[in-house]
Amino acid sequence: MSFTSQTRLVNPRLGAYFGIFASALVGLVILLLIFEELGTSSLWLRWAMLVGPLVLYAAIGVAVFTREPFEFFAAGRRVPAGYTGLGIANATMGATGIVAMTGVFFIIGFDALCLVIGGFAGFVVMGVMLAPFFRKFGSFTVPSYLGRRFDSMAVRILSAALMALPLLLLIAAELRMGAFAAGWLVGQPASLMIFMLVFMIIVTIVLGGMRSLTWSSCAQAIAAILALIVPVAIVAVLVTSFPLPQLTHGPLLRALAFTEGVEGLPVVEASTFAFLIPDDGFAPLAKQFTAPFGSIGPGAFVVATLTVMAGVASAPWLLPRTTMTPGVYETRKSLGWATVFFGLVMLTAASISVFMRDFLMDVVRAGDGADLPDWMRQLVDLGFIQIDTHSTRLALTSVSFSRDAVLLSLPVAAGLPSVFVYLAAAGVVAAALLAAGAAVGALGCILAEDVVNGLSWEPLPNEPRLWLGRIAIGAVAILGGLLALVAPTDPLRLLLWCLALTGSTLFPVLVLSIWWKRMNTFGAIAGLVSGFGVAVITILGGEGRFFGLDGALAGVLGIPAGALGAIAASLVTPGPSRKMLELVHEMRIPGGEVLYDREMRQLRLKKRG
Amino acid sequence: MIERKERKPYWRHTKWQMIASVVPFLILIVVLPLYADSLNAEKFLGFPLGYFLSAHGIAVIAIFTIASFVNRQDAIDHWHGAHEDI
Repeated sequence: MSFTSQTRLVNPRLGAYFGIFASALVGLVILLLIFEELGTSSLWLRWAMLVGPLVLYAAIGVAVFTREPFEFFAAGRRVPAGYTGLGIANATMGATGIVAMTGVFFIIGFDALCLVIGGFAGFVVMGVMLAPFFRKFGSFTVPSYLGRRFDSMAVRILSAALMALPLLLLIAAELRMGAFAAGWLVGQPASLMIFMLVFMIIVTIVLGGMRSLTWSSCAQAIAAILALIVPVAIVAVLVTSFPLPQLTHGPLLRALAFTEGVEGLPVVEASTFAFLIPDDGFAPLAKQFTAPFGSIGPGAFVVATLTVMAGVASAPWLLPRTTMTPGVYETRKSLGWATVFFGLVMLTAASISVFMRDFLMDVVRAGDGADLPDWMRQLVDLGFIQIDTHSTRLALTSVSFSRDAVLLSLPVAAGLPSVFVYLAAAGVVAAALLAAGAAVGALGCILAEDVVNGLSWEPLPNEPRLWLGRIAIGAVAILGGLLALVAPTDPLRLLLWCLALTGSTLFPVLVLSIWWKRMNTFGAIAGLVSGFGVAVITILGGEGRFFGLDGALAGVLGIPAGALGAIAASLVTPGPSRKMLELVHEMRIPGGEVLYDREMRQLRLKKRG
Repeated sequence: MIERKERKPYWRHTKWQMIASVVPFLILIVVLPLYADSLNAEKFLGFPLGYFLSAHGIAVIAIFTIASFVNRQDAIDHWHGAHEDI
């Protein structure tokens, strides 16, 4: 067998390492199941389920520490496509995507698909139109790419400043969701858990930068996927006799549709741009599961899909991850893997909500409000559901579920041992750490490389450069934690704003910077400012009810504004220089030296000369 | 390494491949969910067809789109000599 230079770069033992991690996690769950049967206090089990995996993530993060900037900022560019895709898929929406999306599917059914389809489209567009060229360019951050592409420090610093807001929103959303799950798991206040998560992120990432982030987030992604899939696979075996819940919940949907009709669950029709996505409180089922456009109108569905698509495709916490593969070909493949893992997670979330609806329908069909099953009383005691006890007959509208507790409710409803509920909560914490860590890492690198050292193309010497990166990552993590404490907003809404802002600000400029060589510095500045400005105004107007458009749909105005601003400003100002055109031509060719590496090599030669 | 005169044909070929990959997919993800209600009358694997195509169907189509793009674009890279050196 022959080895190419690319295959030699990749550690051949990665599969064994992550196999050991997955085995350790499964071993921990089995051990805790045994202890539960032996009557061990649930508090011990809960702490063990939280702390055990956290120790493993921290150990992985610390074990891969580095003193090389190339490793610190780009993980040595030797992360295989599958692992890159795994990290990207789970960092896209993180814990908010898993927890809130399960609840949203449960309450509004089909309409939640707009966010899922947007995610799929985001990966396709990123894989075809952006990531391969970004990989060839080789910059560690998006502002660094934009600055070099347009040969402008103003573009670099401006884009860094504009990216801070969506990244901080994402960090706050993920920390709040992670703190909710960790706080519920060990019975501690969410504020304390936010500090714990911030501490974990710092310990895990600071020493090894993106290298630590990449490998620890692979472990976190494995934990999150296992924690999501294992309980629902067991439920699928119990209910449908087949352990593939994503494919076997179809017949349940047919039975559900019948019962939903009999029980008078409405088939509503939302107005074209209505966007009634459930918030993080309690809500009864809003509509029949498979009937489309009852909570989100058809116009809003399309706009939400395209907004999420643009936000995911140009996400500054995902794009730099695509440059850590061994080559352009691997980068393209990594987005295929990301689509596979994202689809697995989202279809599992949909199946959880269907199984949960099925359990609820069984109770409602029995119809006796006074004789509730044990699992329902348990969920009431846990604070996951509220039941209106005024009527003697239990109706669908008299049961309200906490949106973010639907995921944790399924193992209780199915009568599984408590350890499976703890496992699901630990999986949520893992997903939150993964996505918050990705955003912290991205913003930390931006702060160190493009803000503090933003006025120089020449990087700092290795040692100060690394320390600056470490301090920036620590500072961003703490700032994100403080924001999570003082911003008591629904994490899903924060995520949707983040995607709308990212899509409006970056998507048009990034796409045009590759596919339209006439674009110049003025166009980039105008595109960034107009996209960001219009998106912020739309979000504020939507939240203040000044416009009839929900803030989450800000992309419908922000993206065209960004594109128009970029095109108009480019056309009315002088064309790009010959140097800039040559850079665009080279970026479009996968072969040859990575452009950022060439720039660094030339700088070194210049210094020696 | 790609020859200078090959750059233009390579980029033209790449642009067409991008359009062939992205445009049909985008049309599909916009149009398909809008017809989900009428498709739901049919069944597939026990699922209402509109829901199945909007969830599982689009997932499969997205994976297929990227997989075919990766193969086609790699062939284009090799055809024009623009591929990576290994």
